[in-house]
Amino acid sequence: MSGPIVRMLTGDTAPLTARRVFERGDPGPIAASLAHVPELLEVGLPFFGRALRGVTVGLRTAELVIVRASAVLGCRYCTLTHAAVALDADVTPEEVRALCSDQPAAAARDDRERSLLAWVDAVAAGHGPVVTELTDAMSAWADDATLIELTTMVGCTVLLNRYCSSLGLPVSAGSMARLDEAGVTPDALGFGEGEDTGEEREMPA
Amino acid sequence: MSAVRTSSVRSAIDDGRLGERLWFYANYVCNLACSYCLTESAPDVPARELDGALMRSLAAEGAGLGFRSIGVTGGEPFMRRDAVPLLADLADVLPLVVLSNGTLFTGARLRALGRLAAHPVRIQISLDSSTAVANDAMRGPENFRKVVEAIPKLIDMGIGVRIATTVQHRDADDLAALCELHRSLGVPDDDHVVRGIVRRGRALMRGMGEDAGIDRLGPELTITTDGAFWSPFGPTIAEGRLDTDLMVARDVRTLAPAAGALIGVIDGSRYTGPEDDRFT
Repeated sequence: MSGPIVRMLTGDTAPLTARRVFERGDPGPIAASLAHVPELLEVGLPFFGRALRGVTVGLRTAELVIVRASAVLGCRYCTLTHAAVALDADVTPEEVRALCSDQPAAAARDDRERSLLAWVDAVAAGHGPVVTELTDAMSAWADDATLIELTTMVGCTVLLNRYCSSLGLPVSAGSMARLDEAGVTPDALGFGEGEDTGEEREMPA
Repeated sequence: MSAVRTSSVRSAIDDGRLGERLWFYANYVCNLACSYCLTESAPDVPARELDGALMRSLAAEGAGLGFRSIGVTGGEPFMRRDAVPLLADLADVLPLVVLSNGTLFTGARLRALGRLAAHPVRIQISLDSSTAVANDAMRGPENFRKVVEAIPKLIDMGIGVRIATTVQHRDADDLAALCELHRSLGVPDDDHVVRGIVRRGRALMRGMGEDAGIDRLGPELTITTDGAFWSPFGPTIAEGRLDTDLMVARDVRTLAPAAGALIGVIDGSRYTGPEDDRFT
Protein backbone atom coordinates (compact mmCIF):
# COMPACT_ATOMS: atom_id res chain seq x y z
CA MET A 1 0.00 0.00 0.00
CA SER A 2 1.60 3.29 -1.04
CA GLY A 3 -0.90 5.81 0.30
CA PRO A 4 -4.54 6.45 0.98
CA ILE A 5 -6.92 4.73 -1.41
CA VAL A 6 -9.47 7.53 -1.13
CA ARG A 7 -9.08 11.22 -1.79
CA MET A 8 -8.33 13.35 1.25
CA LEU A 9 -10.77 16.26 1.09
CA THR A 10 -9.83 19.80 2.02
CA GLY A 11 -11.67 22.94 3.03
CA ASP A 12 -12.11 23.69 -0.67
CA THR A 13 -13.31 20.29 -1.81
CA ALA A 14 -15.32 19.01 1.15
CA PRO A 15 -19.11 19.06 1.06
CA LEU A 16 -20.60 22.27 2.38
CA THR A 17 -21.95 20.46 5.41
CA ALA A 18 -18.46 19.20 6.28
CA ARG A 19 -16.60 22.42 5.53
CA ARG A 20 -16.37 23.87 9.03
CA VAL A 21 -14.39 20.91 10.30
CA PHE A 22 -11.56 22.29 8.18
CA GLU A 23 -11.79 25.85 9.46
CA ARG A 24 -9.33 25.31 12.30
CA GLY A 25 -6.71 23.85 9.95
CA ASP A 26 -5.93 20.31 8.88
CA PRO A 27 -8.35 18.08 10.81
CA GLY A 28 -6.33 14.93 10.08
CA PRO A 29 -6.96 12.13 7.65
CA ILE A 30 -9.89 10.53 9.47
CA ALA A 31 -11.96 13.69 9.16
CA ALA A 32 -10.53 14.50 5.72
CA SER A 33 -11.72 11.14 4.44
CA LEU A 34 -14.93 10.83 6.44
CA ALA A 35 -16.00 14.19 5.01
CA HIS A 36 -16.96 12.34 1.83
CA VAL A 37 -20.05 11.29 3.81
CA PRO A 38 -21.13 14.32 5.84
CA GLU A 39 -23.81 12.33 7.64
CA LEU A 40 -21.13 10.02 9.07
CA LEU A 41 -18.75 12.87 9.78
CA GLU A 42 -21.35 14.76 11.77
CA VAL A 43 -22.06 11.89 14.16
CA GLY A 44 -18.80 9.98 13.79
CA LEU A 45 -16.24 12.58 14.81
CA PRO A 46 -17.89 13.59 18.08
CA PHE A 47 -18.51 9.94 18.90
CA PHE A 48 -14.91 8.94 18.19
CA GLY A 49 -13.65 11.89 20.19
CA ARG A 50 -15.87 11.11 23.16
CA ALA A 51 -15.33 7.36 23.12
CA LEU A 52 -11.54 7.66 22.84
CA ARG A 53 -11.13 10.55 25.24
CA GLY A 54 -13.02 8.64 27.90
CA VAL A 55 -15.69 9.84 30.26
CA THR A 56 -14.24 9.08 33.68
CA VAL A 57 -11.01 7.21 33.00
CA GLY A 58 -7.82 9.22 32.86
CA LEU A 59 -5.74 10.06 29.81
CA ARG A 60 -3.04 7.52 30.64
CA THR A 61 -5.58 4.73 30.93
CA ALA A 62 -7.21 5.77 27.67
CA GLU A 63 -3.91 5.78 25.80
CA LEU A 64 -2.87 2.42 27.25
CA VAL A 65 -6.11 1.02 25.87
CA ILE A 66 -5.91 2.71 22.46
CA VAL A 67 -2.23 2.04 21.76
CA ARG A 68 -2.48 -1.57 22.88
CA ALA A 69 -5.63 -2.32 20.91
CA SER A 70 -4.14 -0.65 17.84
CA ALA A 71 -0.93 -2.65 18.17
CA VAL A 72 -2.92 -5.88 18.50
CA LEU A 73 -4.89 -4.98 15.37
CA GLY A 74 -1.71 -3.94 13.55
CA CYS A 75 -2.94 -0.48 12.58
CA ARG A 76 0.08 1.62 11.68
CA TYR A 77 -1.84 4.90 11.64
CA CYS A 78 -3.56 4.47 15.01
CA THR A 79 -0.58 2.94 16.76
CA LEU A 80 1.91 5.61 15.72
CA THR A 81 -0.56 8.47 16.10
CA HIS A 82 -1.61 7.43 19.58
CA ALA A 83 1.89 6.44 20.63
CA ALA A 84 2.69 10.11 20.09
CA VAL A 85 -0.40 11.16 22.08
CA ALA A 86 0.48 8.67 24.83
CA LEU A 87 3.89 10.26 25.32
CA ASP A 88 2.05 13.37 26.47
CA ALA A 89 -0.30 11.37 28.69
CA ASP A 90 2.16 10.07 31.26
CA VAL A 91 3.18 7.03 29.21
CA THR A 92 6.95 6.67 28.97
CA PRO A 93 8.79 5.71 25.77
CA GLU A 94 9.65 2.35 27.35
CA GLU A 95 5.98 1.77 28.15
CA VAL A 96 4.99 2.70 24.60
CA ARG A 97 7.44 0.14 23.25
CA ALA A 98 6.08 -2.47 25.66
CA LEU A 99 2.49 -1.76 24.58
CA CYS A 100 3.51 -2.58 21.03
CA SER A 101 5.38 -5.73 21.94
CA ASP A 102 4.42 -9.24 22.96
CA GLN A 103 5.08 -8.23 26.58
CA PRO A 104 2.45 -5.53 27.14
CA ALA A 105 2.32 -6.15 30.87
CA ALA A 106 5.69 -4.42 31.07
CA ALA A 107 3.81 -1.18 30.46
CA ALA A 108 1.63 -1.71 33.53
CA ARG A 109 2.43 0.08 36.76
CA ASP A 110 0.11 -2.00 38.98
CA ASP A 111 -2.22 -4.99 39.01
CA ARG A 112 -5.07 -2.87 37.81
CA GLU A 113 -3.26 -1.90 34.61
CA ARG A 114 -2.02 -5.47 34.17
CA SER A 115 -5.59 -6.76 34.21
CA LEU A 116 -6.66 -3.94 31.91
CA LEU A 117 -4.05 -4.74 29.26
CA ALA A 118 -4.85 -8.45 29.34
CA TRP A 119 -8.50 -7.61 29.01
CA VAL A 120 -7.85 -5.21 26.09
CA ASP A 121 -6.06 -8.02 24.26
CA ALA A 122 -9.02 -10.31 24.81
CA VAL A 123 -11.61 -7.75 23.68
CA ALA A 124 -9.64 -6.45 20.69
CA ALA A 125 -8.53 -9.74 19.22
CA GLY A 126 -10.84 -12.24 20.83
CA HIS A 127 -13.93 -14.00 19.60
CA GLY A 128 -17.02 -14.21 21.76
CA PRO A 129 -17.13 -13.54 25.47
CA VAL A 130 -14.03 -12.66 27.45
CA VAL A 131 -12.95 -15.53 29.69
CA THR A 132 -14.19 -15.41 33.29
CA GLU A 133 -10.69 -15.11 34.74
CA LEU A 134 -10.15 -11.78 32.93
CA THR A 135 -13.60 -10.36 33.62
CA ASP A 136 -13.24 -11.21 37.29
CA ALA A 137 -9.90 -9.40 37.40
CA MET A 138 -11.48 -6.35 35.75
CA SER A 139 -14.56 -6.42 37.98
CA ALA A 140 -12.28 -6.24 41.00
CA TRP A 141 -11.66 -2.57 40.28
CA ALA A 142 -14.00 -1.49 37.45
CA ASP A 143 -17.72 -0.97 38.03
CA ASP A 144 -20.29 -1.52 35.28
CA ALA A 145 -20.06 2.03 33.98
CA THR A 146 -16.29 1.83 33.73
CA LEU A 147 -16.49 -1.49 31.91
CA ILE A 148 -18.94 0.02 29.44
CA GLU A 149 -16.67 2.99 28.92
CA LEU A 150 -13.57 0.87 28.40
CA THR A 151 -15.34 -1.63 26.16
CA THR A 152 -16.64 1.22 24.02
CA MET A 153 -13.12 2.63 23.91
CA VAL A 154 -11.68 -0.66 22.67
CA GLY A 155 -14.52 -1.13 20.21
CA CYS A 156 -14.14 2.36 18.79
CA THR A 157 -10.39 1.83 18.51
CA VAL A 158 -10.93 -1.42 16.62
CA LEU A 159 -13.38 0.33 14.30
CA LEU A 160 -10.86 3.06 13.56
CA ASN A 161 -8.04 0.51 13.26
CA ARG A 162 -9.90 -1.20 10.46
CA TYR A 163 -10.93 2.12 8.91
CA CYS A 164 -7.43 3.61 8.91
CA SER A 165 -5.60 0.45 7.88
CA SER A 166 -8.02 -0.45 5.11
CA LEU A 167 -7.94 3.04 3.64
CA GLY A 168 -4.19 3.42 4.10
CA LEU A 169 -4.40 6.70 6.01
CA PRO A 170 -1.02 8.44 6.41
CA VAL A 171 0.52 9.24 9.79
CA SER A 172 1.03 12.97 10.23
CA ALA A 173 4.48 14.53 10.24
CA GLY A 174 3.67 15.96 13.67
CA SER A 175 3.12 12.53 15.18
CA MET A 176 6.30 11.18 13.61
CA ALA A 177 8.25 14.15 14.92
CA ARG A 178 6.92 13.61 18.45
CA LEU A 179 7.97 9.95 18.36
CA ASP A 180 11.36 10.88 16.99
CA GLU A 181 11.83 13.44 19.72
CA ALA A 182 11.19 10.73 22.32
CA GLY A 183 13.49 8.27 20.59
CA VAL A 184 10.64 5.95 19.66
CA THR A 185 11.09 4.63 16.13
CA PRO A 186 8.28 3.04 14.11
CA ASP A 187 10.56 0.03 13.79
CA ALA A 188 10.65 -0.41 17.54
CA LEU A 189 6.84 -0.47 17.54
CA GLY A 190 6.73 -3.13 14.85
CA PHE A 191 6.12 -0.84 11.92
CA GLY A 192 8.61 0.02 9.20
CA GLU A 193 9.47 3.53 8.22
CA GLY A 194 7.18 3.42 5.22
CA GLU A 195 3.46 2.95 4.83
CA ASP A 196 1.48 -0.19 5.58
CA THR A 197 2.47 -3.16 3.49
CA GLY A 198 -0.77 -5.00 4.10
CA GLU A 199 1.22 -7.98 5.31
CA GLU A 200 0.65 -9.54 8.70
CA ARG A 201 2.73 -7.77 11.30
CA GLU A 202 4.88 -9.50 13.83
CA MET A 203 4.98 -7.88 17.26
CA PRO A 204 8.42 -7.02 18.58
CA ALA A 205 9.54 -9.28 21.40
CA MET B 1 -28.02 15.58 9.48
CA SER B 2 -30.45 17.45 11.60
CA ALA B 3 -34.13 16.70 11.37
CA VAL B 4 -36.20 19.22 9.51
CA ARG B 5 -39.82 20.14 9.91
CA THR B 6 -42.07 20.65 6.94
CA SER B 7 -42.73 24.18 8.11
CA SER B 8 -39.05 25.11 8.03
CA VAL B 9 -38.68 24.14 4.36
CA ARG B 10 -41.89 25.90 3.44
CA SER B 11 -40.89 29.05 5.27
CA ALA B 12 -37.40 28.97 3.69
CA ILE B 13 -39.06 28.84 0.28
CA ASP B 14 -41.67 31.44 1.20
CA ASP B 15 -39.11 33.96 2.39
CA GLY B 16 -36.79 33.33 -0.56
CA ARG B 17 -33.91 31.70 1.31
CA LEU B 18 -34.40 28.46 -0.63
CA GLY B 19 -35.32 28.12 -4.27
CA GLU B 20 -38.84 26.87 -4.91
CA ARG B 21 -37.73 24.33 -7.53
CA LEU B 22 -36.58 20.83 -6.64
CA TRP B 23 -34.01 19.56 -9.12
CA PHE B 24 -33.26 16.01 -10.19
CA TYR B 25 -30.27 14.85 -12.22
CA ALA B 26 -31.98 12.17 -14.28
CA ASN B 27 -28.67 10.83 -15.59
CA TYR B 28 -25.18 11.85 -16.65
CA VAL B 29 -25.02 10.30 -20.11
CA CYS B 30 -25.67 12.43 -23.19
CA ASN B 31 -25.63 11.97 -26.94
CA LEU B 32 -23.60 15.20 -27.17
CA ALA B 33 -20.30 16.30 -25.61
CA CYS B 34 -20.61 20.08 -25.40
CA SER B 35 -17.44 22.06 -24.85
CA TYR B 36 -18.62 23.70 -21.62
CA CYS B 37 -20.62 20.82 -20.14
CA LEU B 38 -20.67 20.95 -16.34
CA THR B 39 -20.86 17.20 -16.00
CA GLU B 40 -18.48 16.06 -18.74
CA SER B 41 -21.48 14.28 -20.19
CA ALA B 42 -20.94 12.35 -23.41
CA PRO B 43 -22.22 9.20 -25.12
CA ASP B 44 -19.53 7.01 -23.57
CA VAL B 45 -19.80 8.01 -19.90
CA PRO B 46 -21.68 5.88 -17.35
CA ALA B 47 -25.42 6.67 -17.39
CA ARG B 48 -25.65 6.96 -13.59
CA GLU B 49 -29.42 7.30 -13.66
CA LEU B 50 -31.31 8.46 -10.63
CA ASP B 51 -33.80 5.73 -9.79
CA GLY B 52 -37.24 6.51 -11.20
CA ALA B 53 -39.15 5.22 -8.20
CA LEU B 54 -36.97 7.34 -5.95
CA MET B 55 -37.62 10.42 -8.07
CA ARG B 56 -41.38 9.85 -7.83
CA SER B 57 -41.14 9.37 -4.09
CA LEU B 58 -38.96 12.44 -3.56
CA ALA B 59 -41.21 14.56 -5.77
CA ALA B 60 -44.23 13.64 -3.67
CA GLU B 61 -42.32 14.36 -0.48
CA GLY B 62 -41.04 17.61 -1.96
CA ALA B 63 -44.56 18.78 -2.74
CA GLY B 64 -45.51 18.09 0.86
CA LEU B 65 -42.49 20.01 2.12
CA GLY B 66 -43.45 23.06 0.09
CA PHE B 67 -41.51 22.88 -3.15
CA ARG B 68 -43.52 24.40 -5.97
CA SER B 69 -41.94 23.00 -9.11
CA ILE B 70 -39.55 20.35 -10.36
CA GLY B 71 -36.56 20.65 -12.64
CA VAL B 72 -35.10 17.63 -14.39
CA THR B 73 -31.69 17.82 -15.97
CA GLY B 74 -28.77 15.58 -16.91
CA GLY B 75 -26.98 14.44 -19.05
CA GLU B 76 -29.72 14.22 -21.57
CA PRO B 77 -32.87 13.14 -19.70
CA PHE B 78 -34.54 11.90 -22.88
CA MET B 79 -31.88 9.20 -23.24
CA ARG B 80 -33.67 7.40 -20.42
CA ARG B 81 -35.98 4.67 -21.65
CA ASP B 82 -38.56 5.70 -19.06
CA ALA B 83 -38.25 9.44 -19.69
CA VAL B 84 -41.77 10.17 -20.91
CA PRO B 85 -43.80 8.23 -18.32
CA LEU B 86 -41.44 9.39 -15.59
CA LEU B 87 -41.76 13.05 -16.53
CA ALA B 88 -45.52 12.71 -16.83
CA ASP B 89 -45.74 11.20 -13.36
CA LEU B 90 -43.51 13.88 -11.85
CA ALA B 91 -45.51 16.61 -13.52
CA ASP B 92 -48.66 15.20 -11.97
CA VAL B 93 -47.08 16.11 -8.63
CA LEU B 94 -45.65 19.53 -9.46
CA PRO B 95 -45.20 21.61 -12.63
CA LEU B 96 -42.02 20.52 -14.33
CA VAL B 97 -39.32 21.85 -16.59
CA VAL B 98 -36.96 19.39 -18.22
CA LEU B 99 -33.66 20.49 -19.72
CA SER B 100 -32.79 18.88 -23.04
CA ASN B 101 -30.45 19.35 -25.95
CA GLY B 102 -33.45 18.88 -28.23
CA THR B 103 -31.67 16.64 -30.72
CA LEU B 104 -33.51 13.39 -30.07
CA PHE B 105 -37.01 14.54 -30.97
CA THR B 106 -37.67 12.65 -34.17
CA GLY B 107 -39.74 9.66 -35.25
CA ALA B 108 -41.19 7.44 -32.54
CA ARG B 109 -39.45 9.38 -29.78
CA LEU B 110 -41.12 12.59 -30.92
CA ARG B 111 -44.51 10.91 -31.13
CA ALA B 112 -44.12 9.52 -27.62
CA LEU B 113 -43.66 13.04 -26.32
CA GLY B 114 -47.27 13.73 -27.21
CA ARG B 115 -48.27 12.27 -23.87
CA LEU B 116 -46.53 15.17 -22.11
CA ALA B 117 -48.85 17.72 -23.68
CA ALA B 118 -51.53 16.74 -21.18
CA HIS B 119 -49.24 17.53 -18.25
CA PRO B 120 -47.65 20.75 -16.95
CA VAL B 121 -44.32 19.99 -18.62
CA ARG B 122 -42.08 22.44 -20.38
CA ILE B 123 -38.96 21.46 -22.25
CA GLN B 124 -36.03 23.84 -22.01
CA ILE B 125 -33.84 23.37 -25.06
CA SER B 126 -30.31 24.65 -25.44
CA LEU B 127 -29.52 26.89 -28.38
CA ASP B 128 -26.39 28.98 -28.09
CA SER B 129 -26.21 31.06 -31.25
CA SER B 130 -28.24 32.31 -34.18
CA THR B 131 -25.94 30.53 -36.59
CA ALA B 132 -25.27 26.87 -37.06
CA VAL B 133 -21.53 27.46 -37.33
CA ALA B 134 -21.21 29.17 -33.94
CA ASN B 135 -23.77 26.99 -32.19
CA ASP B 136 -22.41 23.71 -33.47
CA ALA B 137 -18.85 24.67 -32.57
CA MET B 138 -19.94 24.54 -28.93
CA ARG B 139 -22.51 21.76 -29.09
CA GLY B 140 -21.57 19.46 -31.95
CA PRO B 141 -22.38 18.84 -35.61
CA GLU B 142 -25.99 19.14 -36.79
CA ASN B 143 -27.11 20.42 -33.40
CA PHE B 144 -28.51 23.70 -34.72
CA ARG B 145 -30.51 22.05 -37.50
CA LYS B 146 -32.00 19.40 -35.22
CA VAL B 147 -33.04 21.92 -32.61
CA VAL B 148 -34.55 24.37 -35.05
CA GLU B 149 -36.52 21.54 -36.64
CA ALA B 150 -37.71 20.10 -33.32
CA ILE B 151 -38.98 23.23 -31.59
CA PRO B 152 -41.95 24.00 -33.89
CA LYS B 153 -42.97 20.35 -33.82
CA LEU B 154 -43.06 20.33 -30.03
CA ILE B 155 -45.06 23.52 -29.95
CA ASP B 156 -47.48 22.11 -32.50
CA MET B 157 -47.95 19.11 -30.20
CA GLY B 158 -48.95 21.45 -27.40
CA ILE B 159 -45.75 21.15 -25.40
CA GLY B 160 -44.31 24.28 -23.86
CA VAL B 161 -40.79 25.12 -25.00
CA ARG B 162 -38.19 27.39 -23.46
CA ILE B 163 -34.81 28.18 -24.95
CA ALA B 164 -31.63 28.45 -22.90
CA THR B 165 -28.63 30.19 -24.39
CA THR B 166 -25.25 29.67 -22.76
CA VAL B 167 -22.57 32.08 -23.85
CA GLN B 168 -18.89 32.61 -23.19
CA HIS B 169 -19.05 36.25 -24.25
CA ARG B 170 -22.20 38.23 -24.92
CA ASP B 171 -22.50 39.26 -28.55
CA ALA B 172 -25.36 41.75 -28.87
CA ASP B 173 -25.79 41.25 -32.61
CA ASP B 174 -25.89 37.49 -32.33
CA LEU B 175 -28.29 37.64 -29.39
CA ALA B 176 -30.61 39.94 -31.34
CA ALA B 177 -30.55 37.53 -34.26
CA LEU B 178 -31.14 34.61 -31.92
CA CYS B 179 -34.16 36.35 -30.42
CA GLU B 180 -35.54 36.88 -33.92
CA LEU B 181 -35.02 33.19 -34.54
CA HIS B 182 -36.72 31.93 -31.38
CA ARG B 183 -39.68 34.21 -31.97
CA SER B 184 -39.97 32.82 -35.48
CA LEU B 185 -39.97 29.33 -34.01
CA GLY B 186 -42.85 30.23 -31.70
CA VAL B 187 -40.93 30.84 -28.47
CA PRO B 188 -41.67 34.23 -26.88
CA ASP B 189 -39.06 36.43 -25.19
CA ASP B 190 -40.24 35.44 -21.72
CA ASP B 191 -39.27 31.88 -22.47
CA HIS B 192 -35.73 32.67 -23.53
CA VAL B 193 -33.02 32.65 -20.88
CA VAL B 194 -29.41 33.75 -21.48
CA ARG B 195 -26.68 32.76 -19.04
CA GLY B 196 -22.93 32.66 -18.79
CA ILE B 197 -20.75 29.58 -18.70
CA VAL B 198 -19.96 28.35 -15.22
CA ARG B 199 -16.32 27.38 -14.76
CA ARG B 200 -16.85 23.84 -13.59
CA GLY B 201 -16.68 20.44 -15.24
CA ARG B 202 -15.46 20.47 -18.81
CA ALA B 203 -15.54 24.29 -18.86
CA LEU B 204 -13.02 24.31 -16.02
CA MET B 205 -10.74 21.94 -17.87
CA ARG B 206 -10.91 24.16 -20.94
CA GLY B 207 -10.53 27.45 -19.10
CA MET B 208 -14.00 28.67 -20.02
CA GLY B 209 -16.59 30.62 -18.04
CA GLU B 210 -16.61 32.25 -14.62
CA ASP B 211 -16.16 30.88 -11.13
CA ALA B 212 -19.37 30.33 -9.22
CA GLY B 213 -19.65 29.38 -5.57
CA ILE B 214 -22.50 29.58 -3.12
CA ASP B 215 -22.08 33.35 -3.03
CA ARG B 216 -23.18 33.51 -6.66
CA LEU B 217 -25.42 30.48 -7.00
CA GLY B 218 -28.85 30.59 -5.47
CA PRO B 219 -29.66 27.59 -3.26
CA GLU B 220 -31.87 25.11 -5.09
CA LEU B 221 -32.00 21.61 -3.66
CA THR B 222 -30.60 19.27 -6.29
CA ILE B 223 -30.74 15.50 -6.06
CA THR B 224 -28.45 13.14 -7.94
CA THR B 225 -27.52 9.52 -7.64
CA ASP B 226 -24.54 10.71 -5.54
CA GLY B 227 -26.41 12.86 -3.04
CA ALA B 228 -27.92 16.29 -2.52
CA PHE B 229 -26.29 19.51 -3.68
CA TRP B 230 -26.56 23.26 -3.19
CA SER B 231 -27.71 23.91 -6.75
CA PRO B 232 -27.97 22.25 -10.15
CA PHE B 233 -24.53 23.76 -10.84
CA GLY B 234 -23.13 21.69 -7.96
CA PRO B 235 -22.90 18.03 -8.96
CA THR B 236 -20.30 18.60 -11.62
CA ILE B 237 -17.70 16.21 -12.95
CA ALA B 238 -14.10 17.24 -13.60
CA GLU B 239 -11.62 14.79 -15.07
CA GLY B 240 -14.06 11.99 -14.45
CA ARG B 241 -14.42 12.72 -10.75
CA LEU B 242 -17.44 14.10 -8.93
CA ASP B 243 -16.97 17.54 -7.37
CA THR B 244 -18.12 17.38 -3.76
CA ASP B 245 -17.57 21.01 -2.82
CA LEU B 246 -21.24 21.93 -3.27
CA MET B 247 -22.63 18.72 -1.81
CA VAL B 248 -24.79 18.96 1.30
CA ALA B 249 -25.75 15.32 1.94
CA ARG B 250 -25.12 11.81 0.69
CA ASP B 251 -28.38 10.33 1.90
CA VAL B 252 -31.23 11.08 -0.48
CA ARG B 253 -33.48 8.17 0.35
CA THR B 254 -35.85 10.77 1.75
CA LEU B 255 -35.89 14.48 1.03
CA ALA B 256 -36.37 16.09 4.44
CA PRO B 257 -32.86 15.40 5.81
CA ALA B 258 -31.25 16.69 2.62
CA ALA B 259 -33.46 19.78 2.68
CA GLY B 260 -32.57 20.25 6.33
CA ALA B 261 -28.87 20.01 5.54
CA LEU B 262 -29.18 22.62 2.81
CA ILE B 263 -31.15 24.98 5.03
CA GLY B 264 -28.51 24.43 7.71
CA VAL B 265 -25.83 25.65 5.31
CA ILE B 266 -28.00 28.59 4.29
CA ASP B 267 -28.50 29.51 7.94
CA GLY B 268 -24.88 28.81 8.88
CA SER B 269 -25.68 26.28 11.55
CA ARG B 270 -23.51 23.35 10.61
CA TYR B 271 -21.43 21.05 12.77
CA THR B 272 -18.00 22.48 13.47
CA GLY B 273 -16.05 19.43 14.62
CA PRO B 274 -15.07 17.94 17.95
CA GLU B 275 -13.85 20.20 20.74
CA ASP B 276 -10.72 18.09 21.15
CA ASP B 277 -9.39 16.51 17.97
CA ARG B 278 -6.32 14.84 19.51
CA PHE B 279 -8.29 11.64 19.59
CA THR B 280 -9.26 11.44 15.96
